[in-house]
Amino acid sequence: MRNVNIKYRVAKSKSIQIIIVLLAFIVILPLLAIILYIFKEGATKINWTFLTKIPKPVGEAGGGIVNALLGSAIIVFVASIIAIPIGIFTGIYLSENKTSKLAYWSRLSVDILQGVPSIVIGIVVYFWLVKPFGTFSSLSGSAALAIMMLPILIRSTEETLKMIPFSLKEAGLALGLPYHKVILKVIVPCGVSGILSGVILSIARIAGETAPLLFTAFGNPYLSYNILKPMHSLPLLIFNYATSPYDDWHNLAWGAALILLTTVLLLNIITKLTTKRWNVQL
Amino acid sequence: MTQFEVEIEELKKEMINMWVLVESQMEKARQAMIDFDKDLAREVVLKEKKRVNAYELKIDRDCENMFALYQPVAVDLRFLLAVLKINNNLERIGDIADGIARYIIELPEPFNKDILEQTQLLRMFDDAMTVLSETKIAFETEDTTLARSIFKKDEMLDEINLKANNVVAEYIKGNPDNIMQALVVLSIIRKLERVGDQSTNIAEEIIFYVEAKVLKHHKKA
Amino acid sequence: MERPVIKSVNFNAFFGTNHVVKNVNIEIPKHNAIAVMGPSGCGKTTYLRCINRLHELTDGATSNGEMLLNGEEVYGMHPIFARLKIGMVFQRPNPFPNLSIYDNVIAGYKLNGLKLSKAEKDNIVEQSLTKAALWNEVKDSIHKKGTFLSGGQQQRLCIARAIAMEPEVLLLDEPTSALDPISTSSIEELFHDLKKNYTLIVVTHNMQQAARVSDKTAFFYMGELVEYDDTKTMFTNPKDTRTQNYITGRFS
Repeated sequence: MRNVNIKYRVAKSKSIQIIIVLLAFIVILPLLAIILYIFKEGATKINWTFLTKIPKPVGEAGGGIVNALLGSAIIVFVASIIAIPIGIFTGIYLSENKTSKLAYWSRLSVDILQGVPSIVIGIVVYFWLVKPFGTFSSLSGSAALAIMMLPILIRSTEETLKMIPFSLKEAGLALGLPYHKVILKVIVPCGVSGILSGVILSIARIAGETAPLLFTAFGNPYLSYNILKPMHSLPLLIFNYATSPYDDWHNLAWGAALILLTTVLLLNIITKLTTKRWNVQL
Repeated sequence: MTQFEVEIEELKKEMINMWVLVESQMEKARQAMIDFDKDLAREVVLKEKKRVNAYELKIDRDCENMFALYQPVAVDLRFLLAVLKINNNLERIGDIADGIARYIIELPEPFNKDILEQTQLLRMFDDAMTVLSETKIAFETEDTTLARSIFKKDEMLDEINLKANNVVAEYIKGNPDNIMQALVVLSIIRKLERVGDQSTNIAEEIIFYVEAKVLKHHKKA
Repeated sequence: MERPVIKSVNFNAFFGTNHVVKNVNIEIPKHNAIAVMGPSGCGKTTYLRCINRLHELTDGATSNGEMLLNGEEVYGMHPIFARLKIGMVFQRPNPFPNLSIYDNVIAGYKLNGLKLSKAEKDNIVEQSLTKAALWNEVKDSIHKKGTFLSGGQQQRLCIARAIAMEPEVLLLDEPTSALDPISTSSIEELFHDLKKNYTLIVVTHNMQQAARVSDKTAFFYMGELVEYDDTKTMFTNPKDTRTQNYITGRFS
């Protein structure tokens, strides 16, 4: 009697194990499929011309995506400069003040912001920065992206710092350090790895965002370094060219997609590595 | 060395100092007896007795403190228990020397030379002092073989004590006008025999603390 | 009589309305090791944390009464100054994990922005680690992070870090309760040497430790300072029945 029960339970356990592993495997499949397909289509399109020339008018062969490449880089860079300080300091504030009114409303706002559709953010920034100044600009695009980066930055900073044991703060205070120095010179340095990974993740998040840039940076067929004027970016390029009827443009779109994908993948891998390298053993 | 070990070493030193003091008491009593030196005898009674008593109180207090503060176990516990008892034994030996000195002070005239020899009183004194000194060495060097040899030597003291009655009776028959002296000699012999007993107890305590063997009330081979 | 290094007069501490330390009057002499013992919740740790003003950092925590450091009112000076003069070592060793051993020892100077020459820094580090009986064990890896140190070594590092600031008083909150017996006794031995240069106040729930290391002992019970006397007297002949009951383990 007893023997039968055990055999049944062992079999049940084994079969559930197999199902779980299978399901995990199934999750990886779509990711692998996408990566492989884009690699296949895009790898052949990338060459030196591709990376250094601006797009040619329709019909002409050749051309590249250098304006979108640089545009993306500049927009993301400016967005980071805006968002990182605000995000980290807000994260520090929230980790230190758990109960104040301001903390409560900040947290609520961050939660809501995380759920706002990216296109809505784009529209809002259009009304704030594009309409009043009468021009599309990469700065407004960066502003929209910065708003999207904030929740990730704030959350990861707050969570990282919350994990640091209170005893370290006490140790700093007992040495006669003023409060702000304890936070900036003891707590934050201990959380560097977590904060850094939050930064990289937030960049990876917005690197491929298209919707907010539609009405802010708008796009630019020419190479431009002026952040107060419209600027092109990789997602915009893919959006425009992929749905166009021209083969040349399709090729450019595939190449751009590959570059974007690779960048995001690399950023995620770098996050993992930095977390390990900079990690402070608490 | 830990603080506790430091204090154990201090305690050992104090015990040795007390030992030396008691030995000095015995030596002075012996010398006072031979030279009929009442001043020397008074030193034993007045000065040295006080110092011995002071040592006894201090050592008792130190042991109490060490029990309370350090909760010793094993050899440390046995050591402290042994020290408490040896402390007691040494103080009694001091009392014995004191008692002998008092006899000397009360004597109207010096001892007759032959009585000291016939009764082997001097020999007994020397033996008693050897035994006392050997217990000191055994304690200091934790030498249990030496401690065990004390039992044999005590037996010799017991022998002289047993014979003493007859010897003194013989002497009195031969020297009837010296009865008082003979009686004093007998009392001193009794006291010296107790020095041997106290020393035996000390030796037992030393063996207890070093080997954890209890030889009390035990037939010693 | 030399002025006591710490003196409390009618000192009280509260958590909100909870009266945790009641009317403490105590004088702590220089170059002594004082043990503060008592059952859990008796207010001993709270009292300790009042001395270097860590208590008030908790929400709703208040105190009143006099707390004098060498005659100066601790609650009259800026808390930073108080903490620069009063060092603290905690129950769980808490060296800064992102700093090397060297940097940990001089953290009190470096993080405070107090400038020192390299020679001065080297000297302070060596002296403090030597006084904490750690120098010989770490002198060859002094610029490595301290994560490879054992619990006892980490705690000694924390002690070195605290004494590098040359405090008047060193507060120790159950410094060995998270350590194994051998580390515990090595740190207890350390106290005998530290006493020569500093005054130690050690909170401990282990009364045998109080007996072993201290010159005087304070017994706290339900927030009150029940008895404060020489350790020898406290453990051989305590004056208060409550003390005797605690020491002999007769508390129910």
